[in-house]
Amino acid sequence: MPDSAYFLPAYLLLGVPFLGFLSLWLGGKKLNNAAGYLGAAATLTGLIISFYYADPDAVHIVRFNWLVIGNTSIELAFRFDFLTCIMLAIVHFVALLVQLYSISYMHGDRNLHRYYAFLQLFLFSMVGIVLGGSLLVMYIFWELVGLSSYLLIGFWYFKKRPVWAAQKAFVLNRIGDAAFLTGILMLFYYTGSTDFEVLPTAIADLSPGLLTVIGLCLFGGCVGKSAQFPLSGWLPDAMEGPTPVSALIHAATMVAAGIFLMARISFMLTFKAEVVILIIGTITMLIGAVKALNEWDIKRVLAYSTMSQLGLMVVAIGFGSWQTAMFHLATHAFFKAGLFLSAGSVIHAVTPSETDTVFDAQNMRTMGGLRRSLPITFICFSVCAAALAGLPFFSGFLSKDAIITEGFLWAKLAGPVGYIFPLIVIFSAGLTAYYMTRQVWLVFFGEKRYTASAAVHPHESPALMWPPMLLLSVLSLFIWFSWNPFDANGWFLHFLQPEHSAHLSWVPFVASATTFLFIFLAYRETKAANPFRLESNRWETETEKKFAFNWLRDYSQERYFIIPFEFVTNTFKRFEKNIIDSVVDWIAKGSVVAAHVISWIDRNVVDGGVNLTVFSIRSAGNAARSLQNGRIQSYYLVTVAGLFFLILWLVLA
Amino acid sequence: MIDHILSLLIAIPLLGAAAVAVWPTQNTSHFRIIALVALLLEVVVAVVLYISFDNQNPGFQLSETKDWITLPIGSLGIVSIDYALAVDGISFPLVLLAVIVLLVGVISSWNIAQKTRAYFALYLLLSGSVIGCFLAQDFFLFYLFFEFMLLPMYFLIGLWGGPRREYAALKFFIYTFFGSLLILIVMIGLYLSVIDPLETARMVGIMGADDVIHPDLIPQIQQWLIDGKIAPEQIVHTFRFQFLGDPGNYLPGSLLHLASQYYIGDIPLRLLAFWFLFIGFAVKLPVVPVHTWLPDAHVEAPTPISVVLAGILLKIGGYGFIRIVDGFFPLEAQYSAIPLGILGMISIVYGGFNALGQTDLKKMIAYSSVSHMGFVLLGIAAFTAEGINGAIYQMVSHGVLSAMLFLLAGVVYDRTHDRKIDNYRGLIGVMPHYTIITGIAFFASLGLPGFSGFVGELFTLMGAFQSDLLPAWIPALSTLGIVLAAGYFLWTYQRMFFGSFWYQNGNNSVLTDLTAREKGLLLPLVVMTILIGILPGIVFDMTGPTIEAWLETVTR
Repeated sequence: MPDSAYFLPAYLLLGVPFLGFLSLWLGGKKLNNAAGYLGAAATLTGLIISFYYADPDAVHIVRFNWLVIGNTSIELAFRFDFLTCIMLAIVHFVALLVQLYSISYMHGDRNLHRYYAFLQLFLFSMVGIVLGGSLLVMYIFWELVGLSSYLLIGFWYFKKRPVWAAQKAFVLNRIGDAAFLTGILMLFYYTGSTDFEVLPTAIADLSPGLLTVIGLCLFGGCVGKSAQFPLSGWLPDAMEGPTPVSALIHAATMVAAGIFLMARISFMLTFKAEVVILIIGTITMLIGAVKALNEWDIKRVLAYSTMSQLGLMVVAIGFGSWQTAMFHLATHAFFKAGLFLSAGSVIHAVTPSETDTVFDAQNMRTMGGLRRSLPITFICFSVCAAALAGLPFFSGFLSKDAIITEGFLWAKLAGPVGYIFPLIVIFSAGLTAYYMTRQVWLVFFGEKRYTASAAVHPHESPALMWPPMLLLSVLSLFIWFSWNPFDANGWFLHFLQPEHSAHLSWVPFVASATTFLFIFLAYRETKAANPFRLESNRWETETEKKFAFNWLRDYSQERYFIIPFEFVTNTFKRFEKNIIDSVVDWIAKGSVVAAHVISWIDRNVVDGGVNLTVFSIRSAGNAARSLQNGRIQSYYLVTVAGLFFLILWLVLA
Repeated sequence: MIDHILSLLIAIPLLGAAAVAVWPTQNTSHFRIIALVALLLEVVVAVVLYISFDNQNPGFQLSETKDWITLPIGSLGIVSIDYALAVDGISFPLVLLAVIVLLVGVISSWNIAQKTRAYFALYLLLSGSVIGCFLAQDFFLFYLFFEFMLLPMYFLIGLWGGPRREYAALKFFIYTFFGSLLILIVMIGLYLSVIDPLETARMVGIMGADDVIHPDLIPQIQQWLIDGKIAPEQIVHTFRFQFLGDPGNYLPGSLLHLASQYYIGDIPLRLLAFWFLFIGFAVKLPVVPVHTWLPDAHVEAPTPISVVLAGILLKIGGYGFIRIVDGFFPLEAQYSAIPLGILGMISIVYGGFNALGQTDLKKMIAYSSVSHMGFVLLGIAAFTAEGINGAIYQMVSHGVLSAMLFLLAGVVYDRTHDRKIDNYRGLIGVMPHYTIITGIAFFASLGLPGFSGFVGELFTLMGAFQSDLLPAWIPALSTLGIVLAAGYFLWTYQRMFFGSFWYQNGNNSVLTDLTAREKGLLLPLVVMTILIGILPGIVFDMTGPTIEAWLETVTR
């Protein structure tokens, strides 16, 4: 198809969700009942369009003229290629399932029309990022995604914490975005364009040092949006939003936008930039995994796990293999969305039927033994957890395997120290297996600890909720990505056209061995007298605070951002009040004193004289009287007069 | 009418002011209706102006010129002051902005109850002077309008303001007056240095065949000037912008001639003159550290006056930078680009941090204005097409957004006379429409794409990056401003609007949602910020050709 044929899908893919947003938002509460179906229909339309126009073997670009200033002509370009094919399919598919799930999960909320409206707004902006044919277009939609994330995290605006979490997410993202914008503007300066068609040739003349700086600035956007160290603190808090939103935005799609961005600009990353990216990714991966070990909130475990997996994808980018990063992005989108939806089902099941102020429906300490009452949820959760843990025959195994292989290949080129990175990846994969085993056991096995509240009656979720979960867990099997469960180089990875497709046959075995070892460790812990320190630490105690990794807790909270900002703010405020304003005040008072001295000389020395003197005395007298009245205004008048004469003297002298 | 359309634009509010002043009855509603009618007429004239304005024409349009004062003063030559008005791409968007904001201001003045005759007369006087400032093409005329704004503004803050109004009004007056003095000094210097070549040609008696002076004669006169062939008594001195901008019109050996050898200390006189002018307009913009009048003035001013102050008055500072400071001293401006850029950056960051630290809603907005106007200075300092177009766009955008923000702050203040952010919580529960519009205004101001704030920041920053005069770290550090903007707007939004409803002083019943009049004022502004945010070409098409030609002239 010619490129001009792609104006229509561009209009439709962006227009349908945007109209959906406007009509649902402005439609008001009377749309509450229909909103879920309308939203799902809009998304289904988008899914069909994405498949109908899918043409992965070619690149189609449509351009709109936006404006021309000086030498800069700015076009809004939208691009259809194999990357957009994959992302459009994932985004629409997960969004469709999440909206169907929400119809039941969110049932009865009084602002449902706004919920679905914001989901449509999110889709509009996410599709914009995916279709963006230049970094500027991506940035525009990048910010809009931030807005929809803000609106959805803070959806329950009457509660304090969600609103706070929403704001934290937006502001931390903005820090990354400022770097992203700087990178874009530098590219505009050095190459005159940010279009993905132009850039590969345009950057050829740039020095490697400059490219490293630009690459790292652009990576700043990824650090914010994909919750990388040190801007990752917002992601666990974003779990304050409704669970389906966490599944869609804060697990499967939006947070993956950073990875997508890095895949798009991979051609301009220098080796130095990649090393920095690798280190940041590794830190994030480890912090996420370690924090997930010690978390009791069912959703926050998954949030830390998302952070850790995003770190893994960033590590893959650092290995110079954006293809495996995209592969993991795709597999992760399905199993993580499946995990969140299943977790939502669990929360739904253990939510007390009457108000119980003490009972926390998201705390895993008060779950346990739920596999009998929630069989479907149990299966879905376990399958997705197995995929996340990287067990053979599941999708996560393949993509993780691919990244580890790339890591060893990279290390071979980078030198002996480089081997540390793939080894850390294997270790972190082990941790993943450990905390997922822990979570499955805490939620579904062991004692029925939810009986702590008499009002909890676990029940399987209604028919609109479990099919999406089931579908996502089926998609977490290996078969969809590669025919051979032990070879990651299946059709999916080939589809991504990697430059080299090597396969190290020992990697799957080492990786699985580590995974099983950690699962065994977790299993042994379940047999312990106090499994996972469940009993002794029911509530936060001093011992827990002394836990070795607890310093990490601090960085996810405000210490590293709010407190320095507050310090600078207060310093500036004091500076304003005590220096700038008081200098003016001081000059004013000084002038009045000078005026007194002059008027004294005038009266006693010059004495009499011409009319001018009389005038001066009168002015000085007025100034003096004002001083006694305490009218600060007059000081300024004198200041100005003084300055005026000073300048006059300067000019004439 | 089209020949005198610009005079009409100035005359309508001034006639309105006179009408209010002498109106026979004491009926309050008569005064405000006169004011409203005057500004509606102004809008009609502005629409006609919009239709007749040619975007493609880079020069001055719809010019009106009348000899006003001609006075021979012996060896000092002949004083010539003209009544000259014109618009071009630089002033035109700002004139349109002024008309809109002034109309918004008069409608939001509807509830003014005390001394209404004086209020509306002063308001219309202010309106006329503001428009005059943007249209004047003669420095003397400009200065007249510029000074004339101070008087009504002083009284509007000082008489109708909040508890500390007298302090604020005087602080405002002193600061701006101090700035005006610096401008006056340079104006006199310029006057002594510049001639009107056409009038001088008439005086020395060279004319074309048809007894008309041809513009082609200018180079000849300039050559004669250099050769010293013209007697001092025959030299016609001028204040006209068009002559002040051309280095050929400067008297050889005069104070501000391009090759001037005058120094004060080690500083060349031209550079000093540049900085005097800069400081004069910097007070208006305002630029840190001469900004401290702004928060006080805003906090004490009544809502409509805050709207006009932030919406248009600040823009005269930016307009002055482009038209006058950069226009007459382009080399000095380029030479000083780095300090100017740093001042812009400091305003952005310093204003942002201060906004973050405020507990008073209006003060927070006032400091956000300091931060946003810093982008204007940054764009102008860059001296590139993107930067200066972006600066004008940012002024228009900030005019609309700050008008909105101050109207919104006025909404709660009208109801409770309480501006403390921490005294409110969960307003969404009782004022849902107010919450939505505030949300839009806040997100638009923090530079969300789709709204005008984004485009203004994008292009001023882009201009600063493109500039060969500014190092890249200046705009790079300025991006901190967009992070801070997200911080102070969202933090305020969270504290005031979300959670469960609570109001410090108990009397909740006064907190009612927006009235029809308030919505009628706010919604058009919402539409404007979205419209120019999505189609920024509306503004850039006006400014683009002019700026391109202007840059060619000044960087010659």
